[in-house]
Amino acid sequence: MSERLRIALTKGRLQDKSVELFEAMGLDCSPVRNPGRRLIHTLPNYPLDAVLAKAPDVVTYVEHGVCDLGVVGKDTILERGGAFYEVLDLGFGRCRFALAVKKGFDFYGTYKTRRVASKYPNVTRAFFARKGMDVDIIKIEGSVELAPILDLADGIVDIVETGATLKENGLEPIEDVAQVSARLIVNTASMKLYKNKITDFLSRVERELGGEA
Amino acid sequence: MDIHINTPEGTRDRLFSECLERRQVQSALVELFRRRGYAEVITPEVEFYDLFIQSGNPIPQESMLKIVDRSGKIMVMRPDCTAPIARVAATKLKNLALPQRLYYDQTVFRDRLAHVGGSREIAQCGVEMIGAVGDKADLEMVAMAVDALRCCGLKQFHIELGHAGFYRTLAGRMKMGPEELERLRSAIEGKNFALLNDLLESYRGEDACAALRRLPYLFGGVEVLDEAETLAGPCESLGRLRRLYGELSAAGYGACVRFDLGLVHQLDYYTGLVFRGYAEGAGAPVLSGGRYDGLMEQFGRRAEATGFAVDVDAVGACLTVETPRLETVIHYGPGLLAQALAVVDSRPAGSCELSPCRTLDSTMNLARERGAVRVLLLDSAGERWLTV
Repeated sequence: MSERLRIALTKGRLQDKSVELFEAMGLDCSPVRNPGRRLIHTLPNYPLDAVLAKAPDVVTYVEHGVCDLGVVGKDTILERGGAFYEVLDLGFGRCRFALAVKKGFDFYGTYKTRRVASKYPNVTRAFFARKGMDVDIIKIEGSVELAPILDLADGIVDIVETGATLKENGLEPIEDVAQVSARLIVNTASMKLYKNKITDFLSRVERELGGEA
Repeated sequence: MDIHINTPEGTRDRLFSECLERRQVQSALVELFRRRGYAEVITPEVEFYDLFIQSGNPIPQESMLKIVDRSGKIMVMRPDCTAPIARVAATKLKNLALPQRLYYDQTVFRDRLAHVGGSREIAQCGVEMIGAVGDKADLEMVAMAVDALRCCGLKQFHIELGHAGFYRTLAGRMKMGPEELERLRSAIEGKNFALLNDLLESYRGEDACAALRRLPYLFGGVEVLDEAETLAGPCESLGRLRRLYGELSAAGYGACVRFDLGLVHQLDYYTGLVFRGYAEGAGAPVLSGGRYDGLMEQFGRRAEATGFAVDVDAVGACLTVETPRLETVIHYGPGLLAQALAVVDSRPAGSCELSPCRTLDSTMNLARERGAVRVLLLDSAGERWLTV
């Protein structure tokens, strides 16, 4: 491996927030801000290269050790699982998983097996397994809110930020499933092989996060 | 009828250099194990499912490849080599004097999630020392783990030591229920600093709290033992690690040894020393082992046990293995087979081969197609070298 660490950032909002954080730490992130056609972005004033990826791919890259570090949402970690160190809660990208139903619907008031639609079948399964409750889970790829409206499902488990989308569609969250925020993850072997470089980076992040709080 | 031309997900055909990598690692390890007095055991590829449940080694049910046999019994493709060897040592070897030094060179099978790049077949070479307790047995094991990775040809690697007893001592001082303790253990294993802080927030006053909070950071050189002792006070497990490190350093192994006191995986299984090997270029541990003194008892014979397994292909992937290049093709005449074979056998493997062709012209064509440099012509007139 090279002398430089490699980090995978989740594209989109988490990428912007990560860049803000790194810049506050004094890292020059201009190559990430102006990526051009390059896929690997070399930071000029810190031994770190960044790649941008979709959330589940961030976990894949870190798990295989082709990236040493990654920034990814807890939602992806909960859904996908995997073997890596989840070292820091970066505090941004906050939202929650919630169980939502049509307004006024009594989800628990029956002995019939409920049907739940979600983009996150594993999170949903684990949530109801903790309750010792059997549910039918239906994986939906797009707008999950549609499933209860069309009477395909009795409820949904989905990411909720403001709850505005749910409200517009006549749904309401009735229970929190898990809290979500961006996490910094580290490959297990990299942590051991490049301890000094990684702890230096982690302590810089921690210092910056601590300063904000 | 359609012919199946693909291999199942997570399996692969290994060709040429991939075989050389695997065989090179296997033969280096086997040679070392034998030299150190370990005897080989080959166990069935298929065993009863119950064996691996009984062993107390938590391999998740869904990671085992299952088969139902004609009598309706559930069998699995061997997911681990240690439990079968413990079974053998507790039964067939029960009258042999201890310690028994055993090694294996076998494939284990794990069912993986689809499309994440994991392999269902993992070639493992490993050792088990049954019936030896104490520092010297641990010392021999760790020294062998270092030698194992070194003899494979790895340059940049280290063996990392931890001790199940250290976490147990700390956890024993906390007034926590079993569920909370499991969350604590899992936060330490995953080096989840944030979660760990949250979990310990309400236990600030307890004396083990500061040490537990630092536990995920306690990895690196021998200095982590000092820090651990400052935080937790002297305890038996730290003393053992320190003595072990002293002996290893005196034997010249010190530079390859590090520590991670946050190695708290599979605590129901490991009873003492735990260790892992990391190599530059591999994204996961390439060696893992430890002491599991409770295992043998599960099979009806009380005996201490310790051992480790090397992930052969993970090590192989870190090596650069040269594939032999064909240089010479031999065209030989009637009655000259012995002479031709003598030439082949005197050359480096794979650099020289016989031509099966009848005419020299066809041999020349063949040599060209195969990328050889020259043809050796052996006939009644003697030997001649021809450039291709």
